[in-house]
Amino acid sequence: MRRYLIKRFLRSLLSIFIVMTIVFTLVYSVVPRDRVFFSDVNIEKLQKRPDDYLNYKYIQWEKLGYLKYETIQDYCRGLYGDANGEYVRCLLPDSSETKEFVSSKQEEGWEVSFFEESGQAYSFEEISPLKRALNWWANLIQIDSPNRVKSEEATLKRQIYVGKDFNDRLALMCSGCENKYLIYFDQKFPFIHQNIVKLNLGVSYPTYSGQEVLEVITSSQGEKVKQELKEPINGQEASSINYYTCRYKETLDALEKKNFSDHYADCDAIRTDPSMMKISFIMGFISLVLTYVIGLPLGVYMARHQGRWGDRLGQWYIIFMNAIPGLAYIVFIRFIGGKYFGLPSMFPMLGAEDPRSYILPILSLTLGATASRMMWMRRYMIDQSQMDYVKFARAKGLSEREIFSKHIFRNAIIPMVHGIPAAIIFCISGALITEGVYGIPGMGKILPDSISIYNNSMVVGLTFIFTTLSILSTFLGDWLLTKIDPRIRLEDKGGN
Amino acid sequence: MQDSRFEFVTVDARVAEEIEAPSYSYWQSVSKQFFKKKSTVILLLLMVVIILVALIQPELSGYDPMNSPNINRPEMRFRGISLQYPYGTDGVGNSVWDVVWAGTRTSLLVGFIVACINTSIGVVVGAVWGFSKAIDKVMIEVFNIISSVPYILIVTVLLYTFGRGFWQLILAMCLTGWLSTAYFIRTQVMIIRDREYNLASSCLGTPMLRLVSRNILPYLLSVIMTNVSLEIPAAISTEVTLSFLGIGLNVAVPSLGRMINQYANYFNGYPHLFWAPVLTLALVTISLYVIGQTLADASDPRTHR
Repeated sequence: MRRYLIKRFLRSLLSIFIVMTIVFTLVYSVVPRDRVFFSDVNIEKLQKRPDDYLNYKYIQWEKLGYLKYETIQDYCRGLYGDANGEYVRCLLPDSSETKEFVSSKQEEGWEVSFFEESGQAYSFEEISPLKRALNWWANLIQIDSPNRVKSEEATLKRQIYVGKDFNDRLALMCSGCENKYLIYFDQKFPFIHQNIVKLNLGVSYPTYSGQEVLEVITSSQGEKVKQELKEPINGQEASSINYYTCRYKETLDALEKKNFSDHYADCDAIRTDPSMMKISFIMGFISLVLTYVIGLPLGVYMARHQGRWGDRLGQWYIIFMNAIPGLAYIVFIRFIGGKYFGLPSMFPMLGAEDPRSYILPILSLTLGATASRMMWMRRYMIDQSQMDYVKFARAKGLSEREIFSKHIFRNAIIPMVHGIPAAIIFCISGALITEGVYGIPGMGKILPDSISIYNNSMVVGLTFIFTTLSILSTFLGDWLLTKIDPRIRLEDKGGN
Repeated sequence: MQDSRFEFVTVDARVAEEIEAPSYSYWQSVSKQFFKKKSTVILLLLMVVIILVALIQPELSGYDPMNSPNINRPEMRFRGISLQYPYGTDGVGNSVWDVVWAGTRTSLLVGFIVACINTSIGVVVGAVWGFSKAIDKVMIEVFNIISSVPYILIVTVLLYTFGRGFWQLILAMCLTGWLSTAYFIRTQVMIIRDREYNLASSCLGTPMLRLVSRNILPYLLSVIMTNVSLEIPAAISTEVTLSFLGIGLNVAVPSLGRMINQYANYFNGYPHLFWAPVLTLALVTISLYVIGQTLADASDPRTHR
């Protein structure tokens, strides 16, 4: 088993790596990069000034991660500082610094060119998809340590220590790390939290600008809310700042100097609504449970009473749900629920705290999914009921009820079980149309939205999450199969 | 034997030489089985009518999504159902009847073309894939990798690259779409690959391609039929989803997806605008599905009695 696991793990890693490389190629190379400016209002204003136009384009591309970009201005600023005679002379196309800049960049393999009007030099370097992927992997896992913060402050002590937090609980704290609290305890699941190892999936841009991809989908949303502090910080009894998330910040403004005693001032806020991932997961999971609880018994019932009116009715339901596009019946459910049952037809009407907001979306998710569960359960049950062992059981004189529940059902449920881990895990990826129709701030629309707005690091980060989860869930499904069906073994591969 | 009611027959040696068996023709039995059900025949007729109307009506009405002749005539907006406008008119004064049929034509074409391409590539690749263990090792990894790349991402990137349009959409939907059909066929082929009759056949020296095309594929015909009947509604549904996201077909091509998406906004005031495309679509996909299922059942020789 162990050898199989190691082999499978390595194969999965390779698969994820190739997927990421493909995605990098698709996102950065296949899509024409001028499309980025299709809906950019600034670019039109710059149309008549070719230098600024080009400069703006390159700066934007650098922000989106297409290339690395440097101008002679950056080079001269590094040498002489801003706004002095030396600096202005340095910028000129025939200065000795320009020559140095050009030759040094060319040595590094960058492409060098000159602006049309001013003649100033600039250079850029394309990043190949493979190099980009390798770079991405190299920075994926970040481990916090006391030497991480690069600070010019001499007073900064670099140490890890056990201290008391603002709730008067023990915590592993650090000075000189990126995070102030390395390990801490609170009342929220899973009660012990850590900030030491972190996945770095890149920084989102242009939507959710400056936030990390993982932070965007996992941090709470909505209005800021104040929470009581046991140990007042700077005389404040309650605060909407989540002090556990505080990160090091080199330069503090006046307000931050007043509020924080040290440099750990880059903190997340506590907000009312659950994160995107959590909202999608809550709805997905409830609907999943309902789907199985309703769909499986109905499928079994249809198979037992094959050809009678219950089966026919069920089959028409399945055909209808397959034939009508999801958008249509979701809009219909929303209309019925809103008009006759007084339920909110948009999620933000009552917000995330009110349980009524969840009813219609969950119903919309459940009705469609139930049809497919019923269809497959019925199919598997009927296929199994034609097997020889069923005839044998009947010949032995077992009752129909016993044959169905003990023989057919147990064999028919096996392929259904394989999909359960995937279904649970993929609750977090959200539902595209349902979330769109009800305006739910979940995970469903974030991928298409990110694609259409060229939030490249978001697309890459999300693809990584989804790919990893899908590979993990396939494995869990296989593992679950071996648990419920002892005939299946994972190691023996090949043949049938 | 004096009874006049009986008479002697002569023995015909030639007839006795032949083995007496009822004549059996596969396709004849399929069609007999298929036309046995009244409801299917009705749906088939309905389907033919819908296809004909969808092909002919847009030519007659000359509906063009880029051209709204009544846009400046407020009295033409949101007209009720009448003889001239069987489905009423929409927010820019177009007859919904014309819009629905133009959109249905696009949807049907998308559905049929995508299902044809995906199924033919999928079946050919899947049959070989399931048969050869060496190919399976490579293909299963390729499948894992490509199915991990989000479908939306592939479609969007392709549409951004090649522009938005009818054929671009079909390319985007087919480029990776055949993989799932191929995987499905592969599993089916693997199940019957090692049956005794195939073993016997390969012992007798049947080449692999002949084995696949003569022994295995006919066996899978009903499964393939079921797959096609699900594939067409799925392709139509994908077009609706893509239009919902604002990608998909460009504005110059009439599309049921964009229509449903637009008319969903009028749902509270003018529900018939929403139901017209949805029910037309439902009629098309349901009849396709039922016809496909019946054909799948009929093409299974075990049902021929």
